[in-house]
Amino acid sequence: MGSAFETFRKLGPAAFVLKAIVFTIVADVLLLGFILLRRTYRRRYFARRDARQFELRQSWNDLISGTIPYATWRTKPFDCQLVETMVLDAFEVAGPEESARLLQFMRASGLIEKCISDARDHQGWKRHRALVALGRTRAPEAIPALAEGLRDRDLETRLAALRGLGRMACPEAAEEILHWVGEAGLAVPALPLQSALVQSCAERPQILLPYLQHAGPAVREALGRVLGEVATASLGSELLQFADDSLPELRAAAARALSFAEPRLAINVLSELVKDPMWFVRLRAIVSLGKLSQPAAIPFLLHGLSDSNRLVRLRAAEALVDFPAEMVPIFEQLIAMRDRYGLHAYLTALENAGLQARLESEIRSGKQVNKRTKTILLEVLRTGMLPAETKPSQKSVSAAVGSSS
Amino acid sequence: MIHFLELSNHILFLYYLLSNLGYLVMLTIALKTSAAHLRRLESIPLDWFKRSPMVPPITILVPAHNEERSICTAVRNLLDLDYPEIEVIVINDGSSDSTLQIMQKDFRLRLVRAVYIPQASSAPVRGLYRSDVDPRLTMVDKESAGSKADAVNAGLNAASSPYVCVVDADSVLERDALLRIMVPVLADPKRVVSVGGIVRVLNGSEVEGGRMRRVRLPRKSIEVIQVVEYLRAFLIGREAWARGNMLMIISGAFGVFRTDLVRAVGGYRSCAIGEDFDLVARLHRHLREQGADYRIQFVPDPVCWTEVPSDVRSLARQRARWQKGLLDVLWPNRDMLFRPRYGTIGSLALPYLWLFELLAPVIELGGIVTIILAACFGVLSQSFFLQFVIFGYAFATVISIGSVLQEELTYKRYNDWQDVARLVSYCFLEHFPYRQLHMIWRLQGLWQYLRGDLVWRPLRRQGLESAGADKAGSSPAVVQ
Repeated sequence: MGSAFETFRKLGPAAFVLKAIVFTIVADVLLLGFILLRRTYRRRYFARRDARQFELRQSWNDLISGTIPYATWRTKPFDCQLVETMVLDAFEVAGPEESARLLQFMRASGLIEKCISDARDHQGWKRHRALVALGRTRAPEAIPALAEGLRDRDLETRLAALRGLGRMACPEAAEEILHWVGEAGLAVPALPLQSALVQSCAERPQILLPYLQHAGPAVREALGRVLGEVATASLGSELLQFADDSLPELRAAAARALSFAEPRLAINVLSELVKDPMWFVRLRAIVSLGKLSQPAAIPFLLHGLSDSNRLVRLRAAEALVDFPAEMVPIFEQLIAMRDRYGLHAYLTALENAGLQARLESEIRSGKQVNKRTKTILLEVLRTGMLPAETKPSQKSVSAAVGSSS
Repeated sequence: MIHFLELSNHILFLYYLLSNLGYLVMLTIALKTSAAHLRRLESIPLDWFKRSPMVPPITILVPAHNEERSICTAVRNLLDLDYPEIEVIVINDGSSDSTLQIMQKDFRLRLVRAVYIPQASSAPVRGLYRSDVDPRLTMVDKESAGSKADAVNAGLNAASSPYVCVVDADSVLERDALLRIMVPVLADPKRVVSVGGIVRVLNGSEVEGGRMRRVRLPRKSIEVIQVVEYLRAFLIGREAWARGNMLMIISGAFGVFRTDLVRAVGGYRSCAIGEDFDLVARLHRHLREQGADYRIQFVPDPVCWTEVPSDVRSLARQRARWQKGLLDVLWPNRDMLFRPRYGTIGSLALPYLWLFELLAPVIELGGIVTIILAACFGVLSQSFFLQFVIFGYAFATVISIGSVLQEELTYKRYNDWQDVARLVSYCFLEHFPYRQLHMIWRLQGLWQYLRGDLVWRPLRRQGLESAGADKAGSSPAVVQ
């Protein structure tokens, strides 16, 4: 009896196909077998895990307090992994007191050291996982290990470390991130970096300032956005230095941050920024002027209504609508400006806020407005068109949609 | 003649081998990519994104044509999605039923004078409405132009967010789907211009109040086969193509795009048959011509559940339309083929689509004809033919089971043993006669396109709740 290979050779050109059939059938069987085995294994594993988790949960307080000796579970890999997972999950929903208790437990049981050494000694996904775990603990002693993770060659690991530091939400973590950004530049995409910094700089935004002054343009742009998010009144005059910065992102950040500053000072600076050549700087300035809610900002907001950018006009209109006491004078000035786009933006904002009826009644009951002006204001409000272009026969909405089309 | 028949049989064999090998390579890439994605997710705090000021706002565009039965539930669910800042724009595309009136009543819509700049072309807009119940909801009432693309364009013109997400009104999004689909954008907002999510088959699952209650496999064979197809297409095909930045289709049922870019390419092409495929092709072209460093991504975990045809007639129409859509996009973009400026899109993705998607039914038909002729002329080796059929069958089954394996290893939506067993058995059953029928439907599509028959043929749908729960006595409605 000849060998199997001999049989194939004799088969000639069909041998290849026959081999292929054998291979694919074996592959089919293997795939099916794998699915079957994996399902069975997982079902048993999860049943076992669930049972053990239940046992551990029954004595959770004793476990955390150390009444149950740590050695009873630390030496068993399955139990140790379970407890670690349960503690990390508990961190997610714990208040300050419970967090402190959990952290104390992690320290006393040596779990935190285990995570730190995992983050330091491993590479790839193991390191990645350890960094994520450290971030969830918010333990200050994890900061150096996380900072080392920022210098990993792998982007995913760097991102995990960055997110971990962000979760710490403390100035020490922010210092580490900023120090690393200072030496490595933008080694991660800007958004995760900004997110982490927003979380960790919220308590002390001042730490951003020295880095903002000395970093390169790309980093300054990213940090500028963070400053805009975290700035508080405490930064005060320090923000002013960025109002005439050469980088538009920083001017925008300054404009955004000025909404927290002392109103008189802020309006002075913002009134200049609403004329900035960059649309997003003007947008930030307009939004900040709106947030200040000062009548002194109204002329600048009206100026924003005739901006060349649609978003700036819309935000200016939304801000103006927030001055209910001044609605009639604002509307009068708006019509006097004779800017159709500005008018539409204001009417849109008015309708979104549901204040159209209120403006109408204020115009009707207004004593400082003469009858002729009242008629014009009401007509404009009704038709959405400036006096000279009013066509009473057209329906207001279709006119608005049609005119902007 | 005999020599020609032998040659064509060999070419057919080679074609089939290449096609399946291609899928095998894609399966390997997809398995690796999914594993990496799942590990990456561990460090991404989705919960934090929900409250972050850094997360960009999204406008959800929902084209609706005669959707009175499901529109309110669908909109309520969209407004309830986990995402910090969303705007929902429903586009009433000239509905002849009471879609607009129901929406007006349920969400207290009022006619507003909102700014509407028609950057993307669409049929005339009759009015813009805003909700008094939820200020995030806007409705655009427009005349119908008979295409979804036209309706989406109208919504695009009214959108005010940097990203738009197009969602079908008859689909069900999972609560965290938006957060998940935005993960690639949040990780790299400068380069990622568009992201597609996975679309899964809703039929058979239990849906309550527009929300997925329990995932089950459909009962009908024709629906289960489509589950296998969808798994293969999304979990293997799209995952692998996206890995090489060659993703050519982002499903019209669920995808996120950068608003400025969609506007820059003129929005959706109103007359396109496959408007989703067409848009992605034009985005690739636009960005490659500009020499931009960009990514079009696919994320396998943000799930959109959609109803698939449950009768042969509707399925035939859908597949014929898909084939027409394919030709409708590939033909105008033929100048991208093998041009260095279009990189891998021109040299790999498009040629693959031409050869293994568009021409597949023609080549398959040619193969069948030559085999018959070879048999008539007595030059067909019966044993070789039998072996070829067995090999083709077994190889294709490996790929299908591979997609089930991918599902098992990663997202595991079908938890019931019975469901998995059925899914696997349909991996074996789909090849006869479904595959042959599929070839005929696709050939019909090509023929219709070449004849200029571009008429939209309606599909029979059951609606969200009935399609999901398979309720007895539900009356199917004809919707666009």
